[in-house]
Amino acid sequence: MENPFAQEPRASSSWLWQVITGVGLVLLLGLHFIANHFIAKGGLRDFADVVAYLRSPIILVLEVLFLVVVATHAMLGMRALLLDFGLSERAERRLSQALTAVGVLTVGYGLWLTWVIIH
Amino acid sequence: MANLEYPKVRRAGRWFDVRRRKLGMWAYALNRITGIGLVVYLYLHLAVLSLLLRGPRSWDSFVSLARAPYFLALDVILLAGILIHGLNGLRVTLTGFDVGVKAQKALFGVLMLVAVVALGAAALMIFGG
Repeated sequence: MENPFAQEPRASSSWLWQVITGVGLVLLLGLHFIANHFIAKGGLRDFADVVAYLRSPIILVLEVLFLVVVATHAMLGMRALLLDFGLSERAERRLSQALTAVGVLTVGYGLWLTWVIIH
Repeated sequence: MANLEYPKVRRAGRWFDVRRRKLGMWAYALNRITGIGLVVYLYLHLAVLSLLLRGPRSWDSFVSLARAPYFLALDVILLAGILIHGLNGLRVTLTGFDVGVKAQKALFGVLMLVAVVALGAAALMIFGG
């Protein structure tokens, strides 16, 4: 019997990291969404509440971890999508470097934003 | 030059065209479309969070705006993307480890049903809260 899902490509070398970050996101995004949109009064925290929330050491660790994991997952996903263009080995290396830079900048911006907010 | 690149672009975008394709390709395309949407949202979210740098007045006036029903509807769309991408990703992970490969079609159906039920419950909480 023909497998209806047979058209999906098989795993690539970065696939395992995509899975690890994906599983991490189920937990971290779940916590982020529940804490910021379901527990928070009115579905969103006001300024004072955001500052108090981020000043909790446990929350801070979880939110920073969430930022790193979501940026990694997003960049790996974009890489998988762009590799469909059939890039040369050199272009693929450049793409990986560029996406790593974007990911680092994203995490850097998030960390800086968090630092300014809690101080 | 542009003509030379065209087939490559067309080939790369073939996953987007799900006409006359099987369910597996629909699942694959759905995962990619929601993935792109979530990456766009990630950067929109970071841009909105930069309002916090302008102090309480800027942020709190945004919060008042974001509590409006049409803004809450955007939250439901976001949640739909997260549920579809997350649960479909779970199926891809399981089958990647050779778990439930033969039951993929049913697995996809069940997980999407879970997404619809969870989205309905979340929408009730979002609009009810």
